[in-house]
Parts: sequence; C-alpha cells; structure tokens
Amino acid sequence: MRLRSLPALLLLAAGLTAGATAPAPSPAPDFSLPARDGGEVRLSSLKGQVVMINFWATWCGPCRKEMPLLEQLQAKYGPLGFTLLGVNVEPDSAAATAWLKSVPVSFPILFDTRNAVAESFGVQGMPSSVFVDRAGRVRYVHRGYQPGDESQYADLIRSLAKE
Amino acid sequence: MVVRTRLAIAACALLGAAGCSGVEPWVKPYERQNFADPIMAADRNPVAASYLNHVFEAREGARGALGAHGGGCGCN
Repeated sequence: MRLRSLPALLLLAAGLTAGATAPAPSPAPDFSLPARDGGEVRLSSLKGQVVMINFWATWCGPCRKEMPLLEQLQAKYGPLGFTLLGVNVEPDSAAATAWLKSVPVSFPILFDTRNAVAESFGVQGMPSSVFVDRAGRVRYVHRGYQPGDESQYADLIRSLAKE
Repeated sequence: MVVRTRLAIAACALLGAAGCSGVEPWVKPYERQNFADPIMAADRNPVAASYLNHVFEAREGARGALGAHGGGCGCN
C-alpha cells in the first residue's frame, strides 16, 4: 500500500514545489506614469541606464524607513548611469506628496493610482524593488526591507552598472 | 477495490496539487490600504464597544477574555 501511493505522493510534491521557481531575466514591462513634478516618465526612455523601481506606500513602515537610504543610493550611484523610480501605489496620492515634504527625495516619484504597473510587475510584497539592467531586462526583485538590505541594493547596482 | 483506492488517491493528489497552486490572496500587497477602511472594522463605535465589552466581561466573570487585562472583579 505504501509503495502504491508513492506516485500519488510524488505528484503531490511536484504540485507543492511548482510555485517556487527562479525567474529568468525577462524584458521589463514598459509603462508610462505621471510624475510628482509634472510630466510623464516612461521606462523605455531610460534604456541604457540601470533602473531600480521601488514600489512603496505611506502606510508601509519599511517603505518609509528605506526612503532616505534610497535617496543616498541615487546621490551616490546616479553618476554611474543609475536611476531610481519611486512608484507610489496608493489610489490617493495626497498622503504621499504630504509625507515627501518631510522626507525630501530628488529621484522621480511616480503615481500608480490604478495599480496597473504594480500588477504588471507582479509585486508580491511591500516594499518591492525591481532592478532593471541597461538592456531593459528585469534582473532581480527584492521583496520587503530590513535594515542592512541597502548594502545588497548597492552591490546589485554596482554589478549591473559595470555591465 | 485496489483500482478504486488508486483512483481515490490520484483524485486527492490532483485536488491537493490544484489547491496548492491555484489559491492566491486576492488582496494584493499593494492594495493593503483597503484593510484600514472603516468598513473593515468589526466595531463601528470603538468607545461604546469597549464599554460594552467591559460590562460583558464583568457580568460573565470573564475579565480579560476580550483582550483586556485585569482580574475577575470588574473593578478595573
């Protein structure tokens, strides 16, 4: 009996592990979103640069915590051809603009009020940071934020900028 | 009989596999502000609810049962 149920168990195990596959580098879905300082930012227009897309919201504590650190990353690696895009996912962007007055950032803040971009990137946690290489491919997705993760961000940006 | 058990096991395995890969949370991580909507609150009036909970706990001799601290005397 034990041996007979083995194929069934194997099938069950296959079903369980199917969800955990590492994504291969794939082209980043293009988007165009309104920016905080007016105008639109299109991802494909940043081809040739290393882009870090950070999905954030004001109700998300870790997102608020990493925002000043992201500003430091932009200041440090901007000259290497690096651009950070902060994509706010809230339906009402008033809270974000008010909060950013107390935490000033220089990189573009985009408003994804209908969550279309968050959906196209399959965001699975808040905050999520998507690293896009110079060829416009998604190379790495970082979910969540813990103190110290910023050094991982820096390592990734450096290695992608060298390519 | 054996065939029937095998079929049952296969059906269970298929159901299990489908259950593991098919169900996803339908509130996406970037939609969590919806949880803070007032309509999600179990108690519409938190002040009145905390008073009623206090009365209920004191009457039932169950102080602490609804998350408050204290003994069973109903005096805190």
